[in-house]
Amino acid sequence: MPRVLLVEDEDHLAAGIRFNLELDGYDVETIADGLRAVDRLAPPPEGPVWDAGPAIDLVLLDVMLPGLDGFQIVERMRQAGNYTPVLMLTAKSLPEDVVQGLEAGADDYLPKPFDLPVLLARVRGLIRRRDWARGPAEGQALVRVGEAEVDFASLEIRKAGETVRLTLLEAMLLKLLVERRGQVVTKAEILEKVWNLNPDTETRAVDNFVMRLRRHVEKDSGSPRLLQTVRGVGYRLVEEPSPA
Amino acid sequence: MVATSQLSRSRRPKWHYVAVGVVLIVVAVALTVAWQILAAPESVSRAVGPARVIAYFFGSLLFLLLIAGLVLIVILLLREVRLNERQSNFVSAVTHELKTPVASLKLYLDTLEYREMTPDRRAEFYRTMRQDIERLSGTINNVLNAAMYTDRPVADPRPLDIARVARHAIELTATRHQLPKEAIRYEGPAALRVSGDAQALETAVLNLLDNAVKYSKERVEIEIEVWGDADGQAHVKVRDHGIGMSRTHLPFIFTRFYRIGAEVRRSRTGTGLGLFIVRAIVKGHRGTITADSPGPDRGSTFTISLPGLLEPEAEPEAEAARA
Repeated sequence: MPRVLLVEDEDHLAAGIRFNLELDGYDVETIADGLRAVDRLAPPPEGPVWDAGPAIDLVLLDVMLPGLDGFQIVERMRQAGNYTPVLMLTAKSLPEDVVQGLEAGADDYLPKPFDLPVLLARVRGLIRRRDWARGPAEGQALVRVGEAEVDFASLEIRKAGETVRLTLLEAMLLKLLVERRGQVVTKAEILEKVWNLNPDTETRAVDNFVMRLRRHVEKDSGSPRLLQTVRGVGYRLVEEPSPA
Repeated sequence: MVATSQLSRSRRPKWHYVAVGVVLIVVAVALTVAWQILAAPESVSRAVGPARVIAYFFGSLLFLLLIAGLVLIVILLLREVRLNERQSNFVSAVTHELKTPVASLKLYLDTLEYREMTPDRRAEFYRTMRQDIERLSGTINNVLNAAMYTDRPVADPRPLDIARVARHAIELTATRHQLPKEAIRYEGPAALRVSGDAQALETAVLNLLDNAVKYSKERVEIEIEVWGDADGQAHVKVRDHGIGMSRTHLPFIFTRFYRIGAEVRRSRTGTGLGLFIVRAIVKGHRGTITADSPGPDRGSTFTISLPGLLEPEAEPEAEAARA
């Protein structure tokens, strides 16, 4: 049974969401305070031996919280190496708020007020997307991209003896590019399939994530040879790096 | 329109900035020209003795004026920046205060529509929805009141019973927050007559009581005291034992949109308009409002003082008192 952590300080919303998620078969844990959420999701490394409780499959995170806001929580989670999918729920719905949430490390974003069926579909979708991102790519558990080796099951990327954890969105973007190796993947398609956003959304988020991936796979991320930009169209992961 | 002037900033150009700017430019030009004249070789021979002293005196004066003007501009700009910050906090707070109950109402409506549930659960959901509507209506009233009550004197003051107004506000607050009877204690005479707008004064007392409940710790314990003094003033004092505040915040709490702490990490609901409305209403009655807190976690006390205490035997106007 997937376990969802609901971080929400408004009692009514928390109770209503919990009621619905439990009916759909999720185990739900609720926290109403930002600092306690960080203790659960990103404990300080120098702290005492930590027993936070059962593993969490998905975090539903409000932005305006007492103690610490949702953007800071998701940032701390990612810094602490916790890559559990995060769906942000918030009254802030401007495009720049959505982008700020995604940049901070959230995997999906739902403005309040929301439709109940949409919330439940997003929760199911995020868990499904996580399973897809973790599944084998090109029929293999380990995939080679240039000199880097990508392990989608653990969302890890290894290069020159170093291991880096990928966020769900980074893993999904890389997987989409790997599965379409050699072909151009348009920005609109990436926004739709990876970000679950309208293809027309004006955002630099995709470019920023491609830059992050380049740092993981390219020898010199300043002059990329593997993950190429196709100007005005999108991106392409080439079979073999073109000769310098 | 009143609403526009109270809640948003005027779009008229800021003439005081322009005036200070023009004066500064004129002074700077005058100083430069005078300096050029004084520095010219032929003027050295001519401008000697007292003329030179006078020129230096006025030059120094203008220079000081220039510096004073610059300081003034910086102060004005800082004030603008602070107002902008408070306004952006207000927009954020109102967005949260309006959207949260709406989101909750929508969620419960959807749940009632899509899910099977027991009658008990359904009744519980209806209760939750009613509370959300109360909250929404409270925020809307706050925004409207901030637009409606200005510092201008009450248009049509009438005799009213402030003790009765206070007791009615206590009843409303207790019902609204589902408080036990002993949570708010009233101390004062059975009747105390002043002249003013009963509805506005009730809004002021309600706002103070709402704040006292909101900033209480787990246990709500509030005292409200009403009395008249020999100087012909009526006083209403609301005291809580809640989270209090540090002295540094006291001078600002009646300012429009002022809230303590960052909006995004807010633990108490609100828009930063409540105390601003109280002050506007009290000023409209030519009264004063004071706030005091011994410090964080040691409670707060707010006292409204109104002039125009009426004799008990004054001509009763039952209609106004009943309001």
